[in-house]
Amino acid sequence: MRKDEADPDPPFRRLLVANRGEIAVRVLRACHELGIETVAVYSDADVDALHTRLADRAERIGPAPAAQSYLDIDAVIAAAHRSGAEAIHPGYGFLSENAAFARAVEQAGLVFVGPPAETLASLGDKLAARRAVAAAGVPIVPGLLVPLVPGASGEVAAEVAAVGFPGLVKAAAGGGGRGMRRVDRADQLAAVLEGAGREALAAFGDGTLYFERLIAPARHVEVQLLGDRHGNLAALGERECSVQRRHQKLVEEAPSAAVTPRTRERLAEDARRVAGTVAFHNAATVEFLLDADGSHYFLEMNTRLQVEHGVTELVTGLDLVAWQIRVAAGERLPDAVLANELRGHAIEVRIYAEDPHRDFAPVAGKVTAWRMPAGPGVRVDAGVEAAAPLPIEYDPLLAKLLVHADDRPAALARLRRALDETIVGGVQTDLSFLRWLVDEPGFAAGAYDTGLVAARWAGGPDLADDQRSLAARGALEARLGADAAPTAAPRSTGTQPASAWAARARAEAVSRRPSR
Amino acid sequence: MSDLEITVDGFIVEAAAGWSLSWLDRDAGIARLTDGTRSEMCLVEGSGSDWVVTLRGRRIPVTVRSWRERVLADAESATRQAGGPVVIRATLPGLVVGVAVEDGAEVGEGTILLTIEAMKMQNEVRAPRAGRVTSISVMAGHTVVAGASLLRIE
Repeated sequence: MRKDEADPDPPFRRLLVANRGEIAVRVLRACHELGIETVAVYSDADVDALHTRLADRAERIGPAPAAQSYLDIDAVIAAAHRSGAEAIHPGYGFLSENAAFARAVEQAGLVFVGPPAETLASLGDKLAARRAVAAAGVPIVPGLLVPLVPGASGEVAAEVAAVGFPGLVKAAAGGGGRGMRRVDRADQLAAVLEGAGREALAAFGDGTLYFERLIAPARHVEVQLLGDRHGNLAALGERECSVQRRHQKLVEEAPSAAVTPRTRERLAEDARRVAGTVAFHNAATVEFLLDADGSHYFLEMNTRLQVEHGVTELVTGLDLVAWQIRVAAGERLPDAVLANELRGHAIEVRIYAEDPHRDFAPVAGKVTAWRMPAGPGVRVDAGVEAAAPLPIEYDPLLAKLLVHADDRPAALARLRRALDETIVGGVQTDLSFLRWLVDEPGFAAGAYDTGLVAARWAGGPDLADDQRSLAARGALEARLGADAAPTAAPRSTGTQPASAWAARARAEAVSRRPSR
Repeated sequence: MSDLEITVDGFIVEAAAGWSLSWLDRDAGIARLTDGTRSEMCLVEGSGSDWVVTLRGRRIPVTVRSWRERVLADAESATRQAGGPVVIRATLPGLVVGVAVEDGAEVGEGTILLTIEAMKMQNEVRAPRAGRVTSISVMAGHTVVAGASLLRIE
């Protein structure tokens, strides 16, 4: 970004993005629009990644494993010093909710684009957060307010039984469904505690667990908050994220088909109350469960950008990432943000390298073909551009496809059209599930809950006869074409240009190629 | 037209009548299937007798074989049938976080053999049939590539 084209007074001169993949790309784009120079960090697996190439400057921070690169606080801070960055945006995941990281950024004299370190420390303990929120008068999911201690089985079992089954064991330091397990009977508890504790320890470095009653059927709704350093707090409507597998979200929409204007007001009010329990500024999400009666229960508060922030951007018209950066620099939120009105309906689907026909197991390999949709009301946030190997060290999220339209039926029609234009080759993705979902009667009617994937997908429908015969037609013609013209396939690398124009274009392309 | 036989999931399938394929991007394999009134984008990848056609996001493996290729393939599968040792391989690249069995252990079908962490998920590898474990070639802490031999069941 050239300075003379940019905002004359950007919030920061240079900002480092401590993340990778689509979210790093998203933050880089916001910075470039704000006139901020960007610094990317990359591991050895991401030397050629999109975020590495898109930034004004890129700093290597270590080998492929995240623990030695994207999670290495010292390496990230050193990269910020080397590059002269003034602020660090952590994205989501990795170090985004790590209080020690936020503290290290502050101590290094840099600005952390997020809440104060002490806020992360107090919210990082989900159990302590439950206690504080309950004390503020916001309903919480019924359950224990003290940690489960594996081994002290007698007492624990009695306390858990008093809450009732089925229930969920959760990691106090958790998020993203890791360390979370369902418990249906008392005799499963010991084994579940061991497995969940091990997973939580591996994922978060803390194996502390707690127990909540399972609310089912339930819908997952969350309120987007944005706060400045001057005490202004905006509640920007809700998102519904009930389409989940393994307690992780696949599809998000705004507004929720289950939320009435009155519930929306109550959710916003309680979300503000939750935020009031901590010293908060920047972006946050307060998650709730809605039960069949429409009652809501606090689940957790995340003080970072969410994967699904884009649906809120579409219905508010706001750039949440830009506002995160601006409030981090001390700007006040204007009335346009504080009194924002929602417009239309937005849906996001996450394109994962996962096989929905094999229980959404992650798949490895190489993306060979990549064609994303476009057109009115369509937005794609992707971390890859084209054919690329999938690094196994990181989350299998490839891209997010978002649509926006006047109302939910129009948004669904737009999503169906966009999915039909989308092609990802080389690996199975969840696109087959997403395409099925658009026409699933319950989802189409807005009548669904967090049990949708387990109850209605269950591995997906068998291949229909017409799909088999269509696939057969495609493969047969491809083979006949290849057999008939065995030398035709590599024609794009042929040495005989079709015309003088092509020859000229080729010569120019070659002369423009930078030498390394 | 030819003696090509098409199979999907082991079933012989007739190619959809009246439909034809036209390439949008031959190198990438992106194509359009149409019968003149309806059309669908698809992706066709492969070569020889092995193809994968992606329709509405679903990868559908399709075999297109001549009579000669069929005879060769049948002969090969016949030698694999006889209940010999099974090599358990990693289906995903990842980190071995635990090996649950020892060399010489008798296991039943479905016994958890080892746990591999990939993409932040722990995946349990189970015995596909009963037998005796031999030739364990990995231990906790090893990184394995997809297709790596982990152990054998005899």
